[in-house]
Amino acid sequence: MNVRTYLPRLTSVALAGASLLAVSAAEAKEITVWCWDPNFNVAIMKEAGARYTKSHPDITFNIVDFAKADVEQKLQTGLSSGTADALPDIVLIEDYGAQKYLQSFPGAFAPLSGSVDYSGFAPYKVELMTLDGQVYGMPFDSGVTGLYYRKDYLEQAGFKPEDMQGITWDRFIEIGQQVEAKTGKKMMGLDPTDAGLVRIIMQSAGQWYFDKDGKPNITGNAALKASLETINKIMAANIYKPAAGWSDWVGTFTSGDVASVITGVWITGTVKAQPDQSGKWGVAPIPALSIEGATHASNLGGSSWYVLESSAEKAEAIDFLNAVYAKDVDFYQTILTDRGAVGSLLAARGGAAYGEADAFFGGEKVWQNFSDWLAKVPSVNYGVFTNEADTAVTAQLPALTQGTPVDEVLKAIDAEVSAQIQ
Amino acid sequence: MNKGSTRIAATIVTYGFVGLMAFLSIFPFVWMLFGATNSSIDIIKGRMMPGGALATNVSTFFTQVNAPLVFWNSAKIAILATILTLAVSSLAGYGFEMFRSRHRDRIYSALLLTMMIPFAALMIPLFIMMGKAGLINTHLAVVLPTIGSAFIVFYFRQTTKAFPSELRDAAKVDGLKEWQIFLFIYVPVMRSTYAAAFIIVFMTAWNNYLWPLIVLQSNEQKTITLVISSLASAYYPDYGVVMVGTILATLPTLAVFFFMQRQFVQGMLGSVK
Repeated sequence: MNVRTYLPRLTSVALAGASLLAVSAAEAKEITVWCWDPNFNVAIMKEAGARYTKSHPDITFNIVDFAKADVEQKLQTGLSSGTADALPDIVLIEDYGAQKYLQSFPGAFAPLSGSVDYSGFAPYKVELMTLDGQVYGMPFDSGVTGLYYRKDYLEQAGFKPEDMQGITWDRFIEIGQQVEAKTGKKMMGLDPTDAGLVRIIMQSAGQWYFDKDGKPNITGNAALKASLETINKIMAANIYKPAAGWSDWVGTFTSGDVASVITGVWITGTVKAQPDQSGKWGVAPIPALSIEGATHASNLGGSSWYVLESSAEKAEAIDFLNAVYAKDVDFYQTILTDRGAVGSLLAARGGAAYGEADAFFGGEKVWQNFSDWLAKVPSVNYGVFTNEADTAVTAQLPALTQGTPVDEVLKAIDAEVSAQIQ
Repeated sequence: MNKGSTRIAATIVTYGFVGLMAFLSIFPFVWMLFGATNSSIDIIKGRMMPGGALATNVSTFFTQVNAPLVFWNSAKIAILATILTLAVSSLAGYGFEMFRSRHRDRIYSALLLTMMIPFAALMIPLFIMMGKAGLINTHLAVVLPTIGSAFIVFYFRQTTKAFPSELRDAAKVDGLKEWQIFLFIYVPVMRSTYAAAFIIVFMTAWNNYLWPLIVLQSNEQKTITLVISSLASAYYPDYGVVMVGTILATLPTLAVFFFMQRQFVQGMLGSVK
């Protein structure tokens, strides 16, 4: 082989390869959105985009799906680096983490107070995205909670659906004991490494790990104390089936082993995925604590859309979110029917899908109920360190079940949270 | 206890240990294969038998994922990264060993020290650099930071120590220039070292996750690792589909390994005997 011609040829091949790679895609009126879950958020955003493009043909959407942790990682890197063209126009952020981003990156997100009428949304969703009087973000899916229960098991134990309405946690535990005595079924599944139930009970009484100013609110938090006491009572009464991890917990009710589930509305699809259990389920408001400020409404999870201040299509992005998520009641019917998504726009309840009686729940109008409860979820400040506080609670749950007094457990949680957030 | 029974006991222990280790290595793989044939709900229940959902899982995977594009992206990045890394890093390894200078070993130590900086610390500066160069959301941005690999330089320098300097001297006497010696003497002699390095770099590039995640921004540029991560993080992941994706993502590295297995082992033992 001729050596002299070999090297230049190699170089030119390499250069050609490199130029092929340098593809950049940037169109004038394209709104880029980052979110997670192809079957939920991504599909819903595509539906929203399609609706907007119909009335605004010049605007198209580029919906990019990454894993939730990946969206957070990319957002964090993009914001930290200050490289504006590395960010999308709209990004989905989990509600528990919203304040962390708003406070850590001041000026990074566009305030929407002037553009969006927030009075139409569930107040707690608006509160969690408010910072210094400005509201950022467009409230999206809600994790409004409900008490899903097996009518058949409860009937065997002598309880009617009326008996499940507006109960306290103490009553819930009594019912659980009787259900087990009569049917041999446990009342609920419980994963001792998941603080979800603690969060549900605490928020139902209008409190959180942090107070309105974002300061830790743990040792003096009556609702948190009552939540831990409730968990303790549930464990002492032994009315639960222990679960190891999420899938196992889901298995406790899909298999028919337990008589109730208390969690966010997004579980409805999973409950209904067992056709043989059709007609056997009912939904009631969750039990309430017996302390001041206690309610039957709470929330678990949920996320919302945020517009980046640096976005070149900021005005279009805000107009889009406003037109679809804040006004289009029909859109909310579609995403409820197709994806089981409950949005935060209260007016959505007026639509056909929300008014439908669900045969799976014995003809109850469950969506109307959830919509009622949605408006009543107490507003709390999720603060910057919800995940850290959650880890501390989880770490102390075993001590609680081993008989450590609740006040000491609270002190331990407080110490751990203070250490973590310094 | 006589000698025979001691030997039998030793054999049982050895085989027991080896068997256990083999089980631990193979189990995840078998579970992945079974998983691909089961529905998501059966996988959650822990079903350890082949099921009948393979066709459904495969067709769901191919409707949800633009597989040709995604695999093309991954392959493009992995192959380009491998070729460039081998070219640049083997030259560096060769240079470090063949040429003497006063500061050679200091520079070499500094190079090795860079291996101790975690990637997380480099990520944001690197990202800013790519942003300034206008390379965000290009495959070139994924490839460039990997080609000067301290580990591969180290690997080539170590193996070059066994390269007989007589060969180089003889070539010089025959009038070859340095780059000709490298290209026509060194590379052919060291081919099993190249093969081993090829496997290592290819696998790293193919499985690379964090950096492509940070720097790639659109669905059209995504690699298979990002797609699987996205599938697995849905609120209700379809584990059967995730398993199909995982198997497909494993195949290329498996193929490369089996194809070059002999050279890989030789390369690990040293190229020159």
